[in-house]
Amino acid sequence: MSAKLSILIIEDEKNICDFIAAALMNQDYRVFKSYSGTDGLSQITSRCPDILLLDLGLPDMDGTDIIREVRKWSAMPIIVISARTQENEKVLALDLGADDYITKPFGTSELLARIRTAVRHLARMNTANSTSHIFRASGLVIDFDRRRITVHEQEVHLTQVEYKIVSMLANNSGKVITYDTLISHVWGPYADDNNRILRVNMANIRRKLERNPAQPEYIFTEIGIGYRMIDAEA
Amino acid sequence: MVRLLSRTLRRPVVHDTCITVLFLVLGTLLARLLNAALVNIINVSFLYILVVVFIARYTTSYLYGIIGSLLSIVCINFFFTYPYMHLNFTMAGYPFAFLVMLVVSFVTSATTTNLKKQARILAEREKELAAAEKEKMRANLLRAISHDLRTPLTSIIGSANLYLENGAMMQEMEKFTLIHNIQEDANWLLNMVENILSVTRINTADAKVSKTAEPVEEVVSEAVIRLKKRFPDADIHVKVPDDFLMIPMDAMLIEQVIINLLENAIVHARSKKPIDCFVTCDEQSVTFHVRDYGIGIPEDKLPTIFDGTGSSSHSDSNRGMGIGLSICKTIIAAHDGTIRACNIPGEAPAGHRFYHANPAPCGAEFSFTLPRGDFSHTASEESL
Repeated sequence: MSAKLSILIIEDEKNICDFIAAALMNQDYRVFKSYSGTDGLSQITSRCPDILLLDLGLPDMDGTDIIREVRKWSAMPIIVISARTQENEKVLALDLGADDYITKPFGTSELLARIRTAVRHLARMNTANSTSHIFRASGLVIDFDRRRITVHEQEVHLTQVEYKIVSMLANNSGKVITYDTLISHVWGPYADDNNRILRVNMANIRRKLERNPAQPEYIFTEIGIGYRMIDAEA
Repeated sequence: MVRLLSRTLRRPVVHDTCITVLFLVLGTLLARLLNAALVNIINVSFLYILVVVFIARYTTSYLYGIIGSLLSIVCINFFFTYPYMHLNFTMAGYPFAFLVMLVVSFVTSATTTNLKKQARILAEREKELAAAEKEKMRANLLRAISHDLRTPLTSIIGSANLYLENGAMMQEMEKFTLIHNIQEDANWLLNMVENILSVTRINTADAKVSKTAEPVEEVVSEAVIRLKKRFPDADIHVKVPDDFLMIPMDAMLIEQVIINLLENAIVHARSKKPIDCFVTCDEQSVTFHVRDYGIGIPEDKLPTIFDGTGSSSHSDSNRGMGIGLSICKTIIAAHDGTIRACNIPGEAPAGHRFYHANPAPCGAEFSFTLPRGDFSHTASEESL
């Protein structure tokens, strides 16, 4: 990588902002800090960062407004920082176009993993021909060309719908995908927004893919929000 | 019909007027229809008295009863006495009939108002009692929390001070231990804060939670994953039924309960044996079990283990778990479920369980049961 990737942190708590910045600078990212929404927005336009880390609870404006504003003109990865209990807020942010979220409090390793995921998706966004590839992660292999899924060399047979769900998650591996996004992807935009049918399908998928559905290795639940596929191996 | 009207017309004036008119019209129509059968005017009058009673019963003010009585007299006069379709009050007895209707309406109105008032007073008293109970619980919780939060905070502040003041002279290993302790205590504090926050999700008005149907396996697995972040070495065997189970709950809260129970097992069992976390179900309910194979629970603690008082006696070894378990109980109660703790009696050969006079427990089991609610279909009914 020739140029350093730049990351803008919009977070009003100075201590948290400093700790994130220190962790990121250690990993050789270029870091910009902003302590308010308005300043953040102006820095986004002036500095054009590669990745945006956004705290939703800002003193001067609603973090979701920043997502709306940015999504008008840019597809830059946005990672939302949010408190654990506010699922609605997270779902709203994701549905508005945020790429991922991380829950306060978090450790540096978790944060860096999310940023690596974002970087990888950024790279894939820039190389257009991403349609034919193979997904690999700890024993799970998905061959998108042949629509073949194997777990530890054993072929797994999924139904049409189950395959759609799994491939959607695998294409966005490492990122959380909300129930609504999955439902409209699989059953179309006018599908009933009752997510029970999705949950039932997911239970079936788990019984086919996972050794123990109660201790999943590949597809994780984010209660109240959606599902997250394990990060693909590089 | 009456209920429909009262729902659409919330304002009492509109509502009461409609009720009055409705009953009068109904009464008059009925009387007209049955005019032939009723034969004489006395029966018609009885019918109108009935109308007045109903009006007085279903309206909120005396006024409507009075208006109802008046209108009834007018109706009787207009429709049912000679000359028909004309008003003629010259006949004797009308003042008396009107008086009777008036008294009936007054008595009925007074009785209903009184009844309503008594019901309201009763409801208020009940609410006051519940509020006092809740206030007491909250005070207990606050006391327990502030007591328990002080210990880790002291350790964090002390370690940080020591590091800042003497860091230059300390060995790497010492520094590492200090920072490690800070991290451990901070994590413990975090879990406690999550616990306290989770209680705020319970609706304060009626101690209920907003439930959605959630798959049991997802809740259990997420709880275990979150716990493993704090205790990476914890060895937990998880088992859920093969059937797909969805039960109504606040998933965040139930997750917290499972985490608390698992943490309790990890910290207090004093055993390296793996912890079992499994789910069983029957027709009406689903039960979550957390079983450890450690030292068990002292018999004298068992009855009060969920009361939040356990930790204060020996604060350090047991810190906080009193709160954790009492919060578990609060959460499960808000779900209309039950929670219990028991010791597993010492192993006997060939699977028999003998009850000795004083059996040494070979572990402890915490379990809680939630009702299955209306979502108790199995996967096979709905899968595609």
